[in-house]
Amino acid sequence: MFDKFINWYENRHDYARQWLDKNDGEVVGCFCSYAPEELIYAAGLLPVRMLGSHEPQDVTEPHIFGMFCPFCRDVLAQGLKGRYDYMKGILLAQSCLHLRQAFTSWKNHVPSDWAFYLYMPNKLQTEHARPYYRGELDKLRKSIEGWTGHAIADETLRETAELYNENRRLMREVYAMRKQPDPPVTGLEAMVMVASSYFVDKKEHNAELKRILPELKSRRLDRDTGGRLMIVGSENDDTEFVKMVESVGATVVTDDHCTGSRYFWNLTQFNGDIMQDIANRYIDRPPCPTKDWEERLRFPHILEMAKEFNVEGVILIQQKFCDPHECDMVPLKEYLAKEGYPTLFLEFDVTVPVGQMRIRVEAFLEMLGVEELF
Amino acid sequence: MTETTQEFWRWKESNWHDESIDPKAAETVSAGVDVGSVSSQAVVMADGKLYAYASMRTGSDSPDSARNAMNWALENTGLNLEDIHYTVGTGYGRVNVPFADRTITEIACHARGGNMMYGPSVRTILDMGGQDCKAIHCDEKGKVTNFLMNDKCAAGTGRGMEVFADLLAVSVEDVGELSLDVDEEPPPVSSTCVVFAKSEASSLLREGWSKKRVLAAYCSAMAHRVVSLLERIGVEKDFAITGGIAKNAGVVTRLEKELKLESLKSNYDTQIAGALGAALFARALVEKQRKKVAR
Repeated sequence: MFDKFINWYENRHDYARQWLDKNDGEVVGCFCSYAPEELIYAAGLLPVRMLGSHEPQDVTEPHIFGMFCPFCRDVLAQGLKGRYDYMKGILLAQSCLHLRQAFTSWKNHVPSDWAFYLYMPNKLQTEHARPYYRGELDKLRKSIEGWTGHAIADETLRETAELYNENRRLMREVYAMRKQPDPPVTGLEAMVMVASSYFVDKKEHNAELKRILPELKSRRLDRDTGGRLMIVGSENDDTEFVKMVESVGATVVTDDHCTGSRYFWNLTQFNGDIMQDIANRYIDRPPCPTKDWEERLRFPHILEMAKEFNVEGVILIQQKFCDPHECDMVPLKEYLAKEGYPTLFLEFDVTVPVGQMRIRVEAFLEMLGVEELF
Repeated sequence: MTETTQEFWRWKESNWHDESIDPKAAETVSAGVDVGSVSSQAVVMADGKLYAYASMRTGSDSPDSARNAMNWALENTGLNLEDIHYTVGTGYGRVNVPFADRTITEIACHARGGNMMYGPSVRTILDMGGQDCKAIHCDEKGKVTNFLMNDKCAAGTGRGMEVFADLLAVSVEDVGELSLDVDEEPPPVSSTCVVFAKSEASSLLREGWSKKRVLAAYCSAMAHRVVSLLERIGVEKDFAITGGIAKNAGVVTRLEKELKLESLKSNYDTQIAGALGAALFARALVEKQRKKVAR
């Protein structure tokens, strides 16, 4: 049922190239889930987020520190290797230093016609963030208009925001089905669904979501649900890991990742000024830890989600050297423990040592007492 | 010139069975096989009592290692593989135990085995194995309540100790005692990597350090490393150590000193904890199965 999403995910470069053949626009690479894709899309361009290739590489050493996170290095490596040679523009919305370094190196060493560094503020818990960010979005809009030579109409922006909202609503509907005692969607399928939405034209993605949703209602999976797990943490598109987790007696029923629920969880609210509406949507979304201070607003959000999805245990994932997430791990672990949710902490690299991860996950499931052994 | 072919890392392989038990009279004969990255153990229990075991080196082939350990445990017992009602495989090679009815992780098994070896008061078990090291919290039944494993490194493991035994041409079984025979505790060598520690030790030897002193520095490094693992999860009393390194007084003494806590001692061979736990689970599982059938 998820074949199309899987096919998109596995052949993401082919998809983008075919899109270029069919459309009179360019592909713009986005470095972070905070990139306001609506502005790109409304200009007739295709926003594509660079995701992990999970291949060991040796090309980033001269450009980025070894103690920067594996995901940033993986993204940059793909740029340096020319995997995204069809991409004419790149956009970074400021979140973490590591990704910014990947963007800067990309800008310096990978040919592109347009590169924009968007000053997405990190201090969002102040009302100043709203007018400030709106101003930055105006600059971005002007820059895109300058590059393409066409003005972006407010009406087009509104329609794009509606299209994006529809995508978000549909994906939330799929997620909602995972609350069932036996979810009709595996964690792997959900991961591929969201990851593909990062680079597939939202119109096509919505059409496919609308096609599968009625079928999903009657879908019964031929597998035991086992332990109901939530995964939380850094960027994570490691399908091999989720596959392994779901092969040892568990199902991932929800997540808090920028490559998962955080990307689409909240909608744009329309209050008249479309630029401010879009700015607000990004300010109000479930935050990345780089922007989640001084109060940690993410924690109650995670807890509520864990309750709603009947989660039994939480896997905390950190990309190696991802400082923003690492800073959250200890308080998050304590916070969840207090609420009765056991956690398992795992550190990720470009490739995960499946055997080592497997023993930890299996032992975690045994600890949760999914099966009575005593 | 004589060339030495002695392999100093070789620890004593052993098998044992209890002559006073008649396993044929037992209602349940259960077994656990722990195929670790360095050693393999097979434990056979008769109605929950330890009846026989074997502990030997893991070969390059996991199914063979499992078979060899089991055959050796059953040697001269009159029992065959078919007489065992249920077998649980555990350890690094747990999925490669051909005659196992199911697998359970060594984390759960060490907690369960530790519970029998050290009694129900044990709350923290440190398993110092061949290639990894685990800190496990458990309840009075031996059920895991929390755990932490070391990451991606052989420092602080049995394999590291073997490397040092070979480097210094000292039998691995003597390392602990020799390391305690120093007038003054030397600063520890690198605790982040066995290879780094080995290079460091070579230069210390060139500087004129005695073997004992180098061993003390390594045992101390290992204790430091393990304490930092334990501190991340916390040590709750009572505390016990399982695995091969539990037999190394040089590490254990230093560890206890750093933790300011004595570890429980047991008459059981500490290397069989995982297989023992697996055999205990096997018994529980077969009895559960019987109840189901009877219903």
